[in-house]
Amino acid sequence: MEKKLDKVDTSSSSSGRTKGNACLQNSSRRGVTARLKKLFLCSSTKAPSTTTQCNVEDELELSAARHRPEALEQLEAQTRFSRKELQILYRGFKNECPSGVVNEDTFKEIYSQFFPQGDASTYAHFLFDAFDTDHNGSVSFEDFVMGLSILLRGTVQEKLNWAFNLYDINKDGYITKEEMLDIIKSIYDMMGKCTYPTLKEETPRQHVEIFFQKMDKNRDGVVTIDEFIDCCQNDENIMKSMQLFENVI
Amino acid sequence: MAAGVAAWLPFARAAAIGWMPVASAPMPPPPRDKRRGQDGLIILNVSGTRFQTWLNTLERYPDTLLGSTERDFFFHEETNEYFFDRDPDIFRHILNFYRTGKLHYPRHECISAYDEELAFFGIIPEIIGDCCYEEYKDRRRENAERIQDDEENDNNKDMVLPDMSFRETMWRAFENPHTSTMALVFYYVTGFFIAVSVMANVVETVPCGSGPNRAKEVSCGERYALAFFCLDTACVMIFTVEYLLRLIAAPSRYKFVKSVMSIIDVVAIMPYYIGLVMTDNEDVSGAFVTLRVFRVFRIFKFSRHSAGLRILGYTLKSCASELGFLLFSLTMAIIIFATVMFYAEKGSTATKFTSIPAAFWYTIVTMTTLGYGDMVPKTIIGKVFGSICSLSGVLVIALPVPVIVSNFSRIYHQSQRAEKRRAQKKTRLARIHAAKSGGANAYLQYKRNGMLAEAEEEASKQAGQALVCKSNPTFETQHHHLLHCLEKTTNHEFVDEQTYETSCMEVSLAKPSMSRSSSMSSSPHGLSSCCTRRNKRKSFNVPNSNMVAGRRGSIQELSTIQIRERPMSNSRSSLNAKFEETVPLNSEEQSYITAAVISMPTPPVTTPEGGDSSSSHNFLQSNIVRVSAL
Repeated sequence: MEKKLDKVDTSSSSSGRTKGNACLQNSSRRGVTARLKKLFLCSSTKAPSTTTQCNVEDELELSAARHRPEALEQLEAQTRFSRKELQILYRGFKNECPSGVVNEDTFKEIYSQFFPQGDASTYAHFLFDAFDTDHNGSVSFEDFVMGLSILLRGTVQEKLNWAFNLYDINKDGYITKEEMLDIIKSIYDMMGKCTYPTLKEETPRQHVEIFFQKMDKNRDGVVTIDEFIDCCQNDENIMKSMQLFENVI
Repeated sequence: MAAGVAAWLPFARAAAIGWMPVASAPMPPPPRDKRRGQDGLIILNVSGTRFQTWLNTLERYPDTLLGSTERDFFFHEETNEYFFDRDPDIFRHILNFYRTGKLHYPRHECISAYDEELAFFGIIPEIIGDCCYEEYKDRRRENAERIQDDEENDNNKDMVLPDMSFRETMWRAFENPHTSTMALVFYYVTGFFIAVSVMANVVETVPCGSGPNRAKEVSCGERYALAFFCLDTACVMIFTVEYLLRLIAAPSRYKFVKSVMSIIDVVAIMPYYIGLVMTDNEDVSGAFVTLRVFRVFRIFKFSRHSAGLRILGYTLKSCASELGFLLFSLTMAIIIFATVMFYAEKGSTATKFTSIPAAFWYTIVTMTTLGYGDMVPKTIIGKVFGSICSLSGVLVIALPVPVIVSNFSRIYHQSQRAEKRRAQKKTRLARIHAAKSGGANAYLQYKRNGMLAEAEEEASKQAGQALVCKSNPTFETQHHHLLHCLEKTTNHEFVDEQTYETSCMEVSLAKPSMSRSSSMSSSPHGLSSCCTRRNKRKSFNVPNSNMVAGRRGSIQELSTIQIRERPMSNSRSSLNAKFEETVPLNSEEQSYITAAVISMPTPPVTTPEGGDSSSSHNFLQSNIVRVSAL
């Protein structure tokens, strides 16, 4: 059974954008502007051009954007969740996102609610990228559940793989110091201002140094996936912490 | 945090794995799940309407009834569901609150019913969503005002209290003419004299044929000067007396003197007195004549008599800003147009527009579309500006007027509603009163008969009196038994309201009369009669038939004393009626009398009764009984 996606999704997935297009909610507006732009000048930016592919029928569909996930059996087969667990997950998911997909803004909003003191938007952005495996700018229920399946029911290898994927912002297979700094900074951002001891400017940087010292065996300034997994498997604490959230569902 | 987002907590926790590799310190152990997420369906049966929801939905708000263990008290084993004997329509909204995290207020529901349901289910109303919060608050405020109004009116109820001083009675009579006949008479008399006085002022100036020297027409005032003077004097006498009485009776004299009505009163009568003082002085008589103008203010005294006039005055007061705006804009326009017209007409010969202030008159007359025609522009440009002036006048005046009118309408309707509420309140209170006394009467009947079976019959007979439906007999009998136990505990008995009231009357009147009779035996009686009011005699069926004969004499005694006590009755008509009815009752209420006599050792009591007629009679009998015992 094919995914019952709207035409827009498939058309926009072909553009290979990583940024969420928020097409589903805003494209009706964008459609009009895009058509106006089409009337007056040749648009060079990719984003509107993709949406100009939305013709009138698309706009009508978009306003009632729905995404129905694959059947329960298939998801059961693909993930390591039981039927009941999937039901619970979907109900929670659908409650917050009745349209069936999460775009980045909603994702950030939801995640920020768990960290009221700080600013969780940056880390949420990275998370979103990690969950949005097909990089179409929206997290469907399948993406969501796959991600959770790895995190909660996966092997340690899979989990570490996922973590590496999270840290590797540009997905090139290497974690650079800058990427790590961004990640660490975003984690510290979630703490907010009121911490003890107070957050200093160089704390994230120091944290990155410690991390690299631990992980970067060959001192080439980047951490590869093998280095990462090796190092983590040798670390007691990390191993233990990987098992922490087994019983979340 | 919204309830829905709580469903994403597992995801947030799972995503925390992303922190693990970079963690600086070891992680704390995870909390143990106390309840292993039994996410079952839970059935809530609310008066037959079945609602079903996930257990987790309800557990989102653990400090409400449904979210806590409190709901276990409503668990119904036989049907394996939770049963609530409440309103299903309102419950729907409450359950939606659990589902969506937002509480809505349905506009068609009664506000008190809704509040009750919220209180029952342990939900605080402050969490009502923004969409419905305003409406909820408005309705609540209206309800509170209505209740407050009722309480206020209750306090001002025309309950004749014996300890009200003469001054207070007088003030009440002045403020509310319907309290007694005297007040009504006073009200109409003053109204009549106000009208007479105003008419006299008017007629005074009408030309009445030529005077004695046939020189010119004289006004009626000059022709019949004496008659008008006497009339004026009479009116002023009445007004002065009224004002002084009000001043004496006022609870707060300073406040009364400051009030508008009192100022009007003073202004109405002062010219006369000033005139009396100053008649001889020729120079000042001119000013004195001017003072007579103030006599017309007597017409404002009618505002005490007319609610509509008061509303009008109140409207003008409340529309002060609109009136001010009207005045201001008119003044501006007048000045502008007067200036323009003056300069426009300056050129033309023999123009009436001699100065700008002279042009004011033209502008006002034109703007208010009066158009007397005594001043008209002659130049073309003057005519042009004149037409612009008249057009703009229409606009400027038409704008604030609807605001004032709508204000008046709103205030008028408010007072209508208040009147209606007051009228309804009377019937409402009467209903409540009847219900209460119906319940009390049922109990009193029960006691009189002393038998459960009979109480049921009597209760159904009493149903005509009481408007409240009788509940099932078991409840009634148990309730009666409870009241009876209370009586036994306190060694006092229940009587109904009329008896209590009349005995209060009796006490207040009996005190002076008792002192007059200077009988030592009677004075303690007078004092204790207040206490005895509460006491009730036991009215179980005692085999008293044999005693009846023996007490006949005493009955006769009682009746004679009764008759003697009659002259001491006060003027209150209701009590008079009771007095009259007392005599023929002897024969019927033998059981009372005998019972009264029998229960001598216990403090004397007033009898229970079924209706008004017997109440005072019984009270008297207790009076009498006491006297005869002593």
